[in-house]
Amino acid sequence: MSSDAVTARISPAKPLGQTTRWLGLLALVLTLADLYLIFLVAPADAVLGQVQRIFYIHVPMAVLSFLAFFLVFVGSLVFLMRRTPRWDRLAHAATEIGVVLVTLALLTGIIWARPVWGVWWTWEPRLTTTLILWLIYVACLMVRAYAPSRSRGAVYAAVVGIIGFADVPIVYYSVQWWRSIHPAPVVGPLAEAGALEPIMLAIFLFSLAAFLVVFLYLLLQRIAVRRLEDQAAGVRLASGGQASPGAP
Amino acid sequence: MAGTDLGPGPIPGPFKESSGGGRRWRFIILGAVVALAVAYMAYAAFPGNTRYFLTVSEFLEQPNYQTGQPVRVSGKLVDGSFQRQGDTTTAQFQLVDKTAGSAGGYLHATYTGVVPDLFFNPHSEIILEGRYGADHRFQTDNILVKCPSKYQALEEAQNQG
Repeated sequence: MSSDAVTARISPAKPLGQTTRWLGLLALVLTLADLYLIFLVAPADAVLGQVQRIFYIHVPMAVLSFLAFFLVFVGSLVFLMRRTPRWDRLAHAATEIGVVLVTLALLTGIIWARPVWGVWWTWEPRLTTTLILWLIYVACLMVRAYAPSRSRGAVYAAVVGIIGFADVPIVYYSVQWWRSIHPAPVVGPLAEAGALEPIMLAIFLFSLAAFLVVFLYLLLQRIAVRRLEDQAAGVRLASGGQASPGAP
Repeated sequence: MAGTDLGPGPIPGPFKESSGGGRRWRFIILGAVVALAVAYMAYAAFPGNTRYFLTVSEFLEQPNYQTGQPVRVSGKLVDGSFQRQGDTTTAQFQLVDKTAGSAGGYLHATYTGVVPDLFFNPHSEIILEGRYGADHRFQTDNILVKCPSKYQALEEAQNQG
């Protein structure tokens, strides 16, 4: 197939939507404001000192990784029922962002643990189940990449994405179900009242909102890129995989 | 990253692979290996039971924990029990049960090394990794510190105190 024929199949690339551009700008402004609040406004913790500021980054990333994997779950489920590429794009984009977020949550946790717990890592329930979560969604990306075709990779990834979601509540409730060194949640259904000072709670919620905007921006961008990839590859999952000829 | 995903040409349809059977078996075997590895990690992380640590009273009540096997024991540092041996980094201290208090007994422990920053904080719970020695001292390999799930501003805490 000549390169002309390939280009012809690709519809003119849609310019990045105006909404997404504004979202990107908003993400930048909120992130800078977030850094200012975390490092210059938030008080040092009475017990943990300065290192506690990592909380405002560590927890939003962990929370948003749960949101990402929920979107993977929904996208995968609807994709398996309808087999339309739109839902696979959502699941694929959310998986990649979720893996990045869990990786960063693990790394910031490791950095936080050393000065506070005295060790970089310990095989306790919250850490172990989170590492398993990381492995599940890395596996989700791997089965997609290693599958013999894009369409089958999408199905494999959807199956892993649906089953893997079972680990998300296990991670969240691990600190309640088992003895753990990890602190219990200070926000959400398991949180105790007054676990967080009002100023700390306010900055935490701001940080969560800032990370959410970054998250949405990345998600929309990745879905747009994935759409272009689909067009470039000429994949039509819905129409039974009528793809270009010429296997490797 | 020059895989099949990127090129426009080499994308077979969903059910068109000629070597589908072999690939399927490879896929199933790979999946089984990954599943077994994850299951083993889960098992290895919680040997025997799902308890990350024992409390001081649980440890002292059960002689079979005191046979020299590696265990984790958690408790509160007894005030004033921490003593260094001369100019060395070897220290002796006692832990007491967080909930049962002194009724749960005292665990005498020895440790050589630098203790974590928050070891002496009254809010901390101490978790010791090590084994019970024949001299009825807990030989500590690692000290871990668990902090309360509660954050408070430094200034306010000082004002209250």
